[in-house]
Amino acid sequence: MRRKKTLAKSLGSRLTAALVMRLYVANSAPNSLLAIANLQIICDEFLQDNFKLEIVDVLEEPLRALADGILVTPSLAKLAPSPIAKIVGNLSDKSSVMRALGIRG
Amino acid sequence: MKPRKPTLSVAKQKSASPPAGPGFETNILRLVKGAHESSAIKSGQVDAILDPVSGRAILLPDAQAALLERKARFRSLIELASDGFWEQDEHYRFVLHNGVAIGNEPSKKESILGKTLWELPFSNSHEIDWPTYQRQLEWRAVFRDMEFQYLDSAGQLRIISLSGEPFFDLQAQFKGYRGITRDITAHKLAVTAAPESDRFARLTLDGLAAQVCVLDASGVIITANNAWRAFAASRDGMGIGTGVTEGGNYLTACGQTLGHDQVDAIAMVAGIRQVINGERQLFRYEYFTAGAARWFMATVTHLNEASVARAIVSYEDITDIKRTEQLLRLEYDVTRILVNANNTSVALKAVMRAIGETQQWDCGRYFRLDPAAEVFYLDESWSVPAPAVLQFLQKSRGAVSHPRAGLMGRVCESGQPLWVVNGTQDARASQIALTHETGLDGAFIFPVVAESQVIGVLAFASRIVREPDERLLQTVKHIGEQLGQFFHRQRAENILRQSEVRFRRLTELSSDWIWEQDRDFRFTKVAGDIRNTGHVLGQFLWDPSAQVVLAESAWIQLKSQLAERWSFCDFEYAVMHKDGRLGYYYISGEPVYDETGAFIGYCGTGLDITQRKRAEIVSRDIE
Repeated sequence: MRRKKTLAKSLGSRLTAALVMRLYVANSAPNSLLAIANLQIICDEFLQDNFKLEIVDVLEEPLRALADGILVTPSLAKLAPSPIAKIVGNLSDKSSVMRALGIRG
Repeated sequence: MKPRKPTLSVAKQKSASPPAGPGFETNILRLVKGAHESSAIKSGQVDAILDPVSGRAILLPDAQAALLERKARFRSLIELASDGFWEQDEHYRFVLHNGVAIGNEPSKKESILGKTLWELPFSNSHEIDWPTYQRQLEWRAVFRDMEFQYLDSAGQLRIISLSGEPFFDLQAQFKGYRGITRDITAHKLAVTAAPESDRFARLTLDGLAAQVCVLDASGVIITANNAWRAFAASRDGMGIGTGVTEGGNYLTACGQTLGHDQVDAIAMVAGIRQVINGERQLFRYEYFTAGAARWFMATVTHLNEASVARAIVSYEDITDIKRTEQLLRLEYDVTRILVNANNTSVALKAVMRAIGETQQWDCGRYFRLDPAAEVFYLDESWSVPAPAVLQFLQKSRGAVSHPRAGLMGRVCESGQPLWVVNGTQDARASQIALTHETGLDGAFIFPVVAESQVIGVLAFASRIVREPDERLLQTVKHIGEQLGQFFHRQRAENILRQSEVRFRRLTELSSDWIWEQDRDFRFTKVAGDIRNTGHVLGQFLWDPSAQVVLAESAWIQLKSQLAERWSFCDFEYAVMHKDGRLGYYYISGEPVYDETGAFIGYCGTGLDITQRKRAEIVSRDIE
């Protein structure tokens, strides 16, 4: 089953360009769910509506993940704006995530 | 319920690696070259790694266990929420189903697999809007709780509910529908039956003759039946708890009851409170409402529904029962009086008193019919101790009435009871109702009948004579006949008594003594002049001490006659007197039997014929 969650959002106040992200998860495995929850908190707090997020289930689309250079899940890829970045793990280190995404708290 | 991710296990089985074994973590780490990835794996923040060689995702042990547990939990919830699940292909044909049957499937041959929903023989197919349903499927809409009915292999009606949603492949191509099935037979039948049950209960409640209501804990009437409402609308201040119906507080209304019913109302309130509080399950109270002149039996029962204390109050009009009891008691009293009475006057007074007190009549008089003189004579009377009534009775002593005149004449002619509810409106009742003297304006007259002939009438007067019911008419008819029989019996006994007296006198004139013997022929009674006969109580006739002179053969003949219970007449014997001369006697007797026909002895007469016999002897000697 394809699990694609795309949130088209308008521009927020703190970023001039929308943050585009893709989160790779393993279905509803514990760290994957934790990663989704942690990312949601950050988005709600700092990005408001100014982001786009796609969630890819690697159990369903493993080849796509491999094509994107993903080796483990959960992994979060920042696709835009540049520079692109990749964060591995359940995103529990909030400051590291924000730094990688270019968000200033 | 919408199923969540039913293909989870399929994806995992296809993509996930076999269960972790020894060296698994080492192999995993060997696949992952990056430092960040290795660090995340070691810190337990990774669920799966992607194997570039096989192109598959490999779940780590913890993640795999968690997903299996989640899957088991999901299945359990599905099973709890439904009775089966199913799957259809892109042409809506069943490709999978388990759990509760979808339609009657007595054999595999008749399986639903390969068939669409509208191809199955549901008994309610004609009620389903299949075109609309198929259009929804074309739109890939989720459908919920579609109901289908069929008869199972046992012939029992089954009602099932289907819910389903479309599913797609990775390329977003429609692959079919899948969903759940629930057996809702019991629920639907219960839902269908519930309104009918309520309606039936309502009809039953309204069909009761008794007045019934249900009170809540505070005494407010929650519901009442038609009889209660009708009675509440009609009682207008009479009785306990006047005119209260749904929404009104019955206990408050009872508390406001005044007058004769106040004591009963207080008792009712106390009883209802005890029942509501659970101190007793049942409270019954019988009372008389003077205003309505009715008897009621109140019954209060405890109703404990979902821990909410309530009480059912019902009133049943038992006036007819009480009247019947009263009249039965009256009939019994009259019978007892007449059985024990040996005096006509006393019996008449007692009977009139019993009738008057039972019916709350003030005055009663018995007029005896003298058929020879063709007049009614006032024979006996009874009254309550009211001066005006007593004075009237005193004045009416010696009154006579013609048997073909007035109300008494009509009763005499018809042999049927008559009553005057309001004597002032009927001039013929002037002698019966005592309006002028006493203010009693009602009368009730009924005949006393013996051998189908009216021999007298009983006339009662009162302020409260009401239209008699059938039961009262039946009672007075019965009493009239009883009195008639009593008078007839008294008359017969008088005649018999007089006859006995006359017979005794005649017997005394025709004999010198009378005698009685027991079953052993011993004298038990000897009355008259027996000085010379030698007869002694307790002895036989042939007792040696009696100095009886008679041939042995004669005694033997007499004894054989007695043994055969024969009557004997003028058996002659002689007794040696103290002066040495013989006295001659005749004795006659007949057997006596009791009411059962058992022999109890002899009775008879004796005659002294000494003078005649001596004269005969002298005459014979001369010759």
